Amino acid sequence: MAKTKAGFLLPLPWTLTLLVIWIFPLAWSLFLAFADYNLLSGEVNWVGLGNFKKLLSDQNFVTALKNTFIFVVGTLPFTTVFALLLALALNRPVWGKSFFKAAFFIPTITSLVVVALIFTQLYSEGGWLYRFFGKFFLLPTGGFLLSEKTALPSIMIMDIWAAIGYYILLFLVALQNVPQELYEAAKVEGANAWQTFWAVTFPSIKPMLFFIVTLNTIKSFQVFTEIFVMTKGGPLSSTTTAVYFIYEEGLHRFKMGYASAAAYLLFAIIAVFSYLLFKSFKSETETLTGAKV
Amino acid sequence: MRHPILFTLLAILAIIFLFPFFWMFYVALSPDWTLDNFKDVLSQKLFTRAFFNSVFVTGVITLGNLFFALLAGYGLARYPSVSNRLLFVSILAVLAVPTHVVIIPLFLLIRNLGWYDTYWALIIPFLVSPLGILLLRQYILSLPIELEEAAKLDGASELKIIFSIVAPLAKPALAALAIQSFWINWNNFLFPFLFTSSENLRVLPVALAMYQGYQAIDWPHLFAASAVATIPMLLVFVVLQKQIIAGLTAGALKQ
Repeated sequence: MAKTKAGFLLPLPWTLTLLVIWIFPLAWSLFLAFADYNLLSGEVNWVGLGNFKKLLSDQNFVTALKNTFIFVVGTLPFTTVFALLLALALNRPVWGKSFFKAAFFIPTITSLVVVALIFTQLYSEGGWLYRFFGKFFLLPTGGFLLSEKTALPSIMIMDIWAAIGYYILLFLVALQNVPQELYEAAKVEGANAWQTFWAVTFPSIKPMLFFIVTLNTIKSFQVFTEIFVMTKGGPLSSTTTAVYFIYEEGLHRFKMGYASAAAYLLFAIIAVFSYLLFKSFKSETETLTGAKV
Repeated sequence: MRHPILFTLLAILAIIFLFPFFWMFYVALSPDWTLDNFKDVLSQKLFTRAFFNSVFVTGVITLGNLFFALLAGYGLARYPSVSNRLLFVSILAVLAVPTHVVIIPLFLLIRNLGWYDTYWALIIPFLVSPLGILLLRQYILSLPIELEEAAKLDGASELKIIFSIVAPLAKPALAALAIQSFWINWNNFLFPFLFTSSENLRVLPVALAMYQGYQAIDWPHLFAASAVATIPMLLVFVVLQKQIIAGLTAGALKQ
């Protein structure tokens, strides 16, 4: 095989996937965002910025964006901080370490659908969590997921629980890569645990922290599965998130143009994080794999 | 025992983390600690079909991911042309793009290709994994090139070099990718849900999510089904815990 031929043929399946599954759909969707395309009638009409204007005055979309922001802001700090604390704990020579790692990680290897089903039951009126907290507090009738006030926070708490394990493992990789000499130097200097953390540990794991935060931000902005399984966006749109809105408009009402516009609007909002994640992917790939990008 | 307070704290947290799973099994075994619910579920055609679909789809995708990642990873690592450099950057870019943007157009594409509600829709879009190519490229870059060069001088073909020299050396990366692919695709819900409509084509997560909608929820049976869907991943995890943890963080690639 000629040198250039092999270099072209070997990655060809990816080249095709990139063109067919990514670039073409992304371009098509961008076009649709400026059009009115109802799948049922099959008609495509150019509407310019019409979809975007309509979206911004669509109460359902505004609510969906608001819920998505609440979800991201309300889960991200907790997931990150808890994961870091647990990783720090597990980085010490504590007894039963691999058991604990496994325990924290099991929610991550489980299908989100299964996790969501278990919590739907636990949060329901007959569920264990509802009955347990009902002993101490006055709770909404019908279960946590049937009240506008508690439905979204309940899903958020479940998500923190389910996501922590993965980030613990990523933090552990970063913690194990902190040069041991730095800790010894800090010891010689007489630094206490708190000072050592901020002077040695934190600067070393900062790139991983950055990676985790951007990755989790993008993931959280796209929350869908748990919403579909647990509440279908209800009660009264209190758990409708942006991607759930896109699903409803596009694949339920078949308003493909409108849904595409919503998808791009959301993308525009998180594009900054996407760019940061792209940058961070480069540096973290180097840390995680030890080979230059 | 070192760090008794830390140990106690971790133990309490571990119980909190595992409780929902105990609960799933407890309800699945109710009302009187028999396997009746499991037997009922395993004799339901809807469920066994979904189980088969999950095994089949996940199996094919995982094999495809390994095969294409090995070829493309090798190509990108050993032929660093300008276009391949660009392809590599495209992988990082795709990994950073939120998938929600392609939901609508991918759905339309699948429909126009006539793949909607077929196995093609469940398999083809996921057959080549960008993350897999990234892992393999990085790993192959860290391998010594001398063996390959020697084989080339002996007149070995490119494919022979890939499968008989590179593949055995890249085993840790391939294992990490196999685990990663199995994990992601066994649990995938969104795309299989969007791309199929008939009961015959449901994979486990879709079947479980839809089962709920049928009647007043029958938790013992639903949890028995959920447990059966979870057990393969749990078993793989218990047996291969070390490799999985390394594989999912790609940390294995460092050693």
